[in-house]
Amino acid sequence: MSGSRRVLLLLGLSLALLILGQIVLPGFLSPTQIANQLKIAAFLGLFALCQTLAMTAGGQGLDLSVGAVATLGGVLSAALLPSLGTLAAGCCAVSAGLLVGMLNGAGIAVLDVPPLVATLALASVINGGLIVGVSVFAPPNAAGPAVAAIGGNATYGVPNIVLVWFAVTAVALWLLLRSAWGRRLAATGSSATVALLSGSNTVVVRTAAYTLSGGLAAFTGFLLTGYVGQAFLGLGNAYVLTSIVAAAIGGVALEGGRASYLGVACAAIMMTVLVSLLTAINIGESGRQIIFGLTLLGFLVVDRFGRPTS
Amino acid sequence: MFWTDLRRSGVLPGLAMLVAVVALNVWLQPHFFGRPSLESNIATFTPTILVCIAQAIIVLNRQLDLSLGAGVSLLNCALASLPTDIVGGAWTTIVVTLLLALALGAVNGILVAFLGLPSLIATFATGAIWFGLALGLMPQPGGAVDPGLGDLYGADWFGLPVPLLIVCVVMAGCILLGRHRFGRWLVAVGSNPASAFQAGVPVRAATFGAYVVAWLLVFLSALSISAQTLSGDARLGQTYTLTSVAAVVIGGISLAGGRGSPWGALLGALVLGIIANVIYFAGIPSIWQEFFKGLVVMAALGFMVFGQLRRRMA
Repeated sequence: MSGSRRVLLLLGLSLALLILGQIVLPGFLSPTQIANQLKIAAFLGLFALCQTLAMTAGGQGLDLSVGAVATLGGVLSAALLPSLGTLAAGCCAVSAGLLVGMLNGAGIAVLDVPPLVATLALASVINGGLIVGVSVFAPPNAAGPAVAAIGGNATYGVPNIVLVWFAVTAVALWLLLRSAWGRRLAATGSSATVALLSGSNTVVVRTAAYTLSGGLAAFTGFLLTGYVGQAFLGLGNAYVLTSIVAAAIGGVALEGGRASYLGVACAAIMMTVLVSLLTAINIGESGRQIIFGLTLLGFLVVDRFGRPTS
Repeated sequence: MFWTDLRRSGVLPGLAMLVAVVALNVWLQPHFFGRPSLESNIATFTPTILVCIAQAIIVLNRQLDLSLGAGVSLLNCALASLPTDIVGGAWTTIVVTLLLALALGAVNGILVAFLGLPSLIATFATGAIWFGLALGLMPQPGGAVDPGLGDLYGADWFGLPVPLLIVCVVMAGCILLGRHRFGRWLVAVGSNPASAFQAGVPVRAATFGAYVVAWLLVFLSALSISAQTLSGDARLGQTYTLTSVAAVVIGGISLAGGRGSPWGALLGALVLGIIANVIYFAGIPSIWQEFFKGLVVMAALGFMVFGQLRRRMA
């Protein structure tokens, strides 16, 4: 399935789900509801961008540490906020995320640890460390007013976080599809050997992909505290698996190689609408999991057989 | 001769780690080698060991199964929620669960082997489905497993505890499998699918078979854990998936397929189980436990990676 057809399909599906929601539950299509859904989709979309970067880098790329890093970013920024102010606290959080991402990248690109194992191991250390840190120091955990404004408020009816998401999307589209680095990343993902022989430093490129993923996860965790009002342990956990699903549905191949973030962003919207519709019609956790799994499988099958065989 | 074989098998780092954690455990718990302690340990470890060997069989075939944990939960919920007053009683329940396990394995096998979906993401999707089904069967933990199963699991046969016998039988099965044509196919496909295909190996059937055999072990694992808890819980097996992947890596089985043996997975499972023991007996404050577990798994991985780097340079 080509990129633009996928975007149309996902947007069409989202629209169909929204209309279905309006029929079952009047008010589902109201502007405030849609703004709310976009807000939730923005966070999912940002985490899915982390996965897009990791998956594009190839070698069964994945970043299972996004949840832990987001929690780290949230907890760290909230802890530093009273003494450093919003901007410095946010920068510290992002730096911590970049550092974790770099460790991930070094383990994967230099030491050749499978991404699944490397990111998971680091995630368990971070989560364990956060439990210790939070129980020993009991740091302040409230989100500052500035963060709350970005994560929770709206400008002319458009939630600020959605504006942030749009800006990040624009940068991501340029970075992944137009920039030289993006081309090197995609080349590394499709065939590391060929990329290396054509003069790309594949180790640096892959490390950079995971570093960016870590920084972005921490940044998203920082903004997430603004949306939920405070930082807590397990803040980012729910996004680990859903972000992978969004990236896979959005058309990023696990084998690596060129991928557009636009499809992923649309997948994030579609999944958010799907979840809220299922919640609205009282389908419990059980049904949601099954429908999630089936949706993902459906897209995998479509991808497998819709692709021109070469 | 023996030494070279052992080095080539890639289990040496895992073996060294096992010796280290056992020594640590004995130091902290002097009666570790006493019969009660050994019996309770093997009973606790058996479900994990079985899942780890199941994962090893699939990894040797160059695939992965991220739905094993959810599968254990689903089978456990099936065992606990199926009515026992049907014809045949508990045995019928067990047979139905066995058929369910084989069906789950077959679904994964079809998706990966015949539809050619990437195993990592496809089994991730089926894992979500199994978990959803388990939650549907049992929204809250509860239900009842036939207590006869618990008695059987806790019994001694020929002077040996039943869990130990289960592990022995499974390992014997693995040895047989390794000598059988199918076992060779399985590893040949994992090592290089294209060459295996050229050599006339039925590649798809081998991969499908790997999943079905693995899920037979998942069934045994679910049976063992259910015999201990005697109830159903849809979240029971959640940690198994990642434990099994970690155990496979510690056991020196290459995630790129074709290299390693089920013995490695057994070692890995024992190392991880005993580490949990050590952390418990060392009296580490509970807030530090998660952190230590993460560090130890990471140290184990680092150990493995450097072993592999050295082998590659040698």
